[in-house]
Amino acid sequence: MIEKDRDPNNTNSSIEKLKGSDNYSEDDSDIDFDVNALEKQKKDKGKTGSKKKVVPSEVDDKFFKLSEMETFLDDIEKREGKEDDNEDELDYFRDLPSDEDDEINLDEVMSSKKKKTGKSSRDLKYKDFFDAVDNEPDEQQSDGDDDHMDDSQEEDGEEIDGEDDTEEEGDDDRSKASKKKVTFDLSENEDSEGEDIEEILKTPSPEKTELKSSFEKRQEKMSQKIEELENAALAEKPWQLLGEVTAQTRPENSMLEEDVEFEQASRAAPAITEETTLQLEDIIKQRIKDQAFDDVVRKEKPKEEVFEYKKRLTLDHEKSKQSLAEIYEQEYIKQTQKNTEKEENPAHVEIQKLMDTLFLKLDALSNFHFTPKPPVPEVKVMSNLPSITMEEVAPVSTSDATLLAPEEIKDKNKAGDILGDIERTKTDKKRERRHIKKVKRLKIKEKEKRQKVKEANKTGESKKISKTEVAENLRKVTKGGKATILKDEGKDKALRSSQAFFSQLQDQVKSQIKSTKERSEKKKKHIEVSVSKLKL
Amino acid sequence: MDASENGATAPEKHDEGESFTKVKSKKSQKRKLEPDGGTTMEVEQPNKRPHFPPISADKLRGSDEMRKVAVPAHRYTPLKENWLKIFTPIVENLQLQVRFNLKTRNVEIKTCKETQDIAALTKAADFVKAFVLGFQVDDAMALIRLDELFLESFDVTDVKPLKGDHLSRAIGRIAGKGGKTKFTIENVTKTRIVLADTKIHILGSFQNIKMARTAICNLILGSPPSKVYGNIRAVASRTAERF
Repeated sequence: MIEKDRDPNNTNSSIEKLKGSDNYSEDDSDIDFDVNALEKQKKDKGKTGSKKKVVPSEVDDKFFKLSEMETFLDDIEKREGKEDDNEDELDYFRDLPSDEDDEINLDEVMSSKKKKTGKSSRDLKYKDFFDAVDNEPDEQQSDGDDDHMDDSQEEDGEEIDGEDDTEEEGDDDRSKASKKKVTFDLSENEDSEGEDIEEILKTPSPEKTELKSSFEKRQEKMSQKIEELENAALAEKPWQLLGEVTAQTRPENSMLEEDVEFEQASRAAPAITEETTLQLEDIIKQRIKDQAFDDVVRKEKPKEEVFEYKKRLTLDHEKSKQSLAEIYEQEYIKQTQKNTEKEENPAHVEIQKLMDTLFLKLDALSNFHFTPKPPVPEVKVMSNLPSITMEEVAPVSTSDATLLAPEEIKDKNKAGDILGDIERTKTDKKRERRHIKKVKRLKIKEKEKRQKVKEANKTGESKKISKTEVAENLRKVTKGGKATILKDEGKDKALRSSQAFFSQLQDQVKSQIKSTKERSEKKKKHIEVSVSKLKL
Repeated sequence: MDASENGATAPEKHDEGESFTKVKSKKSQKRKLEPDGGTTMEVEQPNKRPHFPPISADKLRGSDEMRKVAVPAHRYTPLKENWLKIFTPIVENLQLQVRFNLKTRNVEIKTCKETQDIAALTKAADFVKAFVLGFQVDDAMALIRLDELFLESFDVTDVKPLKGDHLSRAIGRIAGKGGKTKFTIENVTKTRIVLADTKIHILGSFQNIKMARTAICNLILGSPPSKVYGNIRAVASRTAERF
């Protein structure tokens, strides 16, 4: 509740009033407020005249009275809670505030109304101020216009419509007053009361639908557009424009409605449609008809001929006997000779051979003393083998297998000669040992890795260790001497009870003590002997 | 010239009518000949191309070109010894003129009337240059006989900056014991190599030069000779298979 000016007069008057009369005033102080009295008044519902008491304050000026404002606000508050039982009383002969009136004040209106009704501030209802909903627009047109103009001027200051100048002036005057009215409420009052007033006053007033020039229409549209744009600019951006957006920040399934563009580094998988499958089938059918299959050809390791290997070996470490020119010459001749060889017609060669045999036979038959011609080499052997293969002198019955040296059959070991056990020196033995150990180490590591993987996969199924594994672990642990298995050698029964255990422990300790005592005694004995000897 | 002639004839013809003596211009005569002869000489078109009769080859030759190859002192004696073998192919096969300028110590090669092929001059110059670098005459001769042989030179320090003992060792690695390594590389890659202190010259075809150069660079960088042999052998056999 808003505090009022504590005026002794007021309070006294109020108290008096409450006590005595049915006349209710606006200045109802909170402190002396009596609920019972109020309820009584409610029941009575007398029409009382109200005095308007204006209490001067610092803030007051020509138009504004603080006390009036406060009273008005109180009334409104109370009205919200109350029902409206009062009938709508209208003074038809009351002068409505005209356009040219400068001093239109809410208070005046209210006061006028109040004067007319003679009710207290508490009993004023909505309908005292406003007509019924149907009639509202007509009566409040002027006020509504004020507000409309006011709003339009506030928001679009630059856009002064092309209305008549006189109207404008009038509107200006009105708007000033209404501005004062409205601003008065807005600025002074941060409660919802101010807004209520505005809402109350700002009735939906119809625009001048009569005749608007095309320019006006255009201007209206423009202003509307601009309004929209401005609102959009001021409002929050949609999630699409907000940079990095996670699933939580955008509405559900909103990405599905979006057409998102992104680059893909990899080729997209081919879309399988009916057409593509038909095409493929066509290709396949054609291939089958043509017998053009893409069969895999088996790879074969090239087997090296003997003479190839020998060719490989020759690395001449001496200055070549031929000069560079001669070398290239020979190469060139080789190349040209190859060509000339192929040029011989095989048919001619065959014919020549046949003729030779024929003539030889004829000569043999015709001549009595026939001396056959010296044999002409029928086959022209041009071998490209290195001369060493031609000149090799070997017995007839030998084959390639026997001719080959061991290196030619199998390549020499990179490590060198294979040594026997006796031939190995210390370094060789150590080397072998190291090698063995390395290999074994690697194997063990591999095994451990595999075990780990196995266990990792096994989690959840069954973590029970099998008997074999248990035995294995036991063996490992005891082998290194890290742990020993406690073997109950017949002491089982004895150790079942704690008493037995402790008695055994006691025995052990005793025996230990005994042993130490004996030792110390022995020592003492020694000492005694020596001492006695000395004494003697 | 033709234009001026035309200009000259035109006023003359006009003057004919004015009691001047008629001067027969060669032009008009020739014009008459044209329809008689039937052969239209394109050259005779008014204000067009000049007329050049075909020239004999002598006049077409131009001046003689010359190349000079400097000879350092240490190659002076070998040059003297092999002089016959050097100049014979140049003069007989390439038809060039060659002399050794004693004052400037240059071998000068010049084209002459008999030279048929102008590229022979370059070949001869390369041949002499190769000999001067240190190659044998027979090896350098290959440059004359084959077109696609080249000569490449580089320094040991180009491959790796070596100094003092390291440099000497690198050179020793390239040469090998008694020149063994160098000869092996020469034989396998069919090139000729000259190892002159820190400079290396290679003579051969392009691919072979590349092979030899790789081998030598590996030796400089420190590979043992056996490894280098293996590599060049593999490469050489591969290239041999291709051809």
